[in-house]
Amino acid sequence: MTDSSALKPRLVVKGLVAGYGDVIVLKDIDLTIAEREIRIILGGSGCGKSTLMKNIIGIEQPRGGTIELLDQPIDWSQGRPGLEVFRKVGVLFQGGAMISSLTVAENVALPLDLHHPELPKTVVKDMVAMKLEQVGLGEAYHRMPDALSGGMRKRAALARTLILDPDLLFCDEPSAGLDPITSRGLDDLLLELRDALGISLMVVTHELDSIRALCDKMLFLSGGKVIFDGSLEDAEESGPEEVRDFLSRKAFSDSRKSARLTIKTEAK
Amino acid sequence: MPNPTSLPQRITPDFVARNRDGLIALAKTQKPLRLDASNLQVLDGLGLAFLAGLERECQSAGNEIVLLSLAEPLQKRLRQSPVPVDTPETPRTEKLPEKVGEAGYAFLDELKDLLLLSSEALYWSTWGLFRRKTILPGDFVKQMIRLGSSALPIVLLLSLLIGFTLAVQSGNQLQQYGASIFLADGLGIGMVTEIGPVLTAVIVAGRSGSAVTAEIATMNVQEEIAALRTMAVNPFQYIMLPRFWSLSICLPLLTALAAAAGVFSGMLVGYFVFHLSMRSFLSELGQAVLVEYVFQMIVKSLTFGWIIALVAVNKGMRVSGGADAVGRATTECVVTCIFSIIVADAIFSFLFYF
Repeated sequence: MTDSSALKPRLVVKGLVAGYGDVIVLKDIDLTIAEREIRIILGGSGCGKSTLMKNIIGIEQPRGGTIELLDQPIDWSQGRPGLEVFRKVGVLFQGGAMISSLTVAENVALPLDLHHPELPKTVVKDMVAMKLEQVGLGEAYHRMPDALSGGMRKRAALARTLILDPDLLFCDEPSAGLDPITSRGLDDLLLELRDALGISLMVVTHELDSIRALCDKMLFLSGGKVIFDGSLEDAEESGPEEVRDFLSRKAFSDSRKSARLTIKTEAK
Repeated sequence: MPNPTSLPQRITPDFVARNRDGLIALAKTQKPLRLDASNLQVLDGLGLAFLAGLERECQSAGNEIVLLSLAEPLQKRLRQSPVPVDTPETPRTEKLPEKVGEAGYAFLDELKDLLLLSSEALYWSTWGLFRRKTILPGDFVKQMIRLGSSALPIVLLLSLLIGFTLAVQSGNQLQQYGASIFLADGLGIGMVTEIGPVLTAVIVAGRSGSAVTAEIATMNVQEEIAALRTMAVNPFQYIMLPRFWSLSICLPLLTALAAAAGVFSGMLVGYFVFHLSMRSFLSELGQAVLVEYVFQMIVKSLTFGWIIALVAVNKGMRVSGGADAVGRATTECVVTCIFSIIVADAIFSFLFYF
């Protein structure tokens, strides 16, 4: 594993408070992602993983704290923050978020067409074909997104996310709904991208196999707070009980159990 | 400009845009095409695609590329990267008869769905009225409020304005013959039998019909309709019946109010502009507007309500695809509704007057 302290940070979150309406979902979250680091965000459903991501990528306005993305602070004081910084940030949404009126190839080429109109059409076509081949969708080139399965749509969305070669990539459950082989291929692809291009990743996932394959460091959220921040090995050896239970596939730990029926039963 | 045979640290869009054509030209003369890759540190997607495209060009010119002193990890990355395959689109060219035939079949298919929907609506509104139905309690009232009563302000406002305009325009003409009092006849009959039903139906088709289609289409796209089926709920009953009934009740009521509003604003115009007393206007109105006309209004508005409900539900139910399909269905719904309303109105005029 690389020593992350020597590398420059790509994402710094300090004291983040986030919520919707009257509900505070995240309290005082600190998170740093270094260059070349793959950070896994873990936690049960509804613990605020997606909210964390939405706040970081500027979809939701944080209630407090600071966020620095690729050395630029996300500033909400003048309204919605500018989009320039997001050119170098890729986001893979849970459902893929493919634009349904464009073909798969047009979807993947979209960021290039909009941001680099100077590129020759043949180069764009080659880039799209190679990216689609990389995610195993070479044959889906001219198909419409709604003709793809959920997993295929997600891989096409990953191709679109990667087309601008982002420095920082956010993935919301990249391998959910994929078969184990495709899922492993996706993990390998993410690792290869990290190694070849030095990008940093923040991955929200539940798949234990993915966690083992990818994880440099993890952040475990529970009840809107960070309860563990460190490497997978540390988590398995000395992490809090909830984290260890999660990683060892134990069902709900006792702390999360609600009251159970206590009606007495007796033999006749 | 750097020497074109030397690659930069990272192949950028700018580099590609400036040097690609030159390198392709060079590939035709220099054999093999030698590129100095000693500066190259990063091979991203663009870099790989650029090199791959260049290689293809070279190969078609019977040439090859040699990358000089490429760093070891980049060599590995190069070997692992797939060759871009050109997947040509096979556009299906349809001849005119094919297009016409397809459109005809699509129309017949939609008509079939519409008839099925109508039969379903007819059955559950008559024989099946008291049989157990899978609809949510309270949904009928909710839909009446959403589709009917909340359309009242805009319907009333537009009817007042139309009544005013008609009264001013026709009053001016009638006054020249000293026949201003016939304003009451013309406006009363016109508002009750024609303008009231058609105007209201068009407004409701635009605001409520489109809402129904958009809602059902989105439900369809998000597989909510399929989910209803798996809960053993008949989606037609669950979705269509509350909307069908509420439009059947609301549209005649809205039409009556619209006609009243139009006549009322005409009466005000008569009083203030053409000096007709309200009493004489009302007594003339009472003589002119026969019960028959009110009956016509009810029949027309009821039919228009059914048209809106059935077309809107049908368009929504037939959607498949994504966001753009929802938009298309909504547009089609409004266009079809307004078209059918006007055609139906023409048919009614024929039936009632001959």
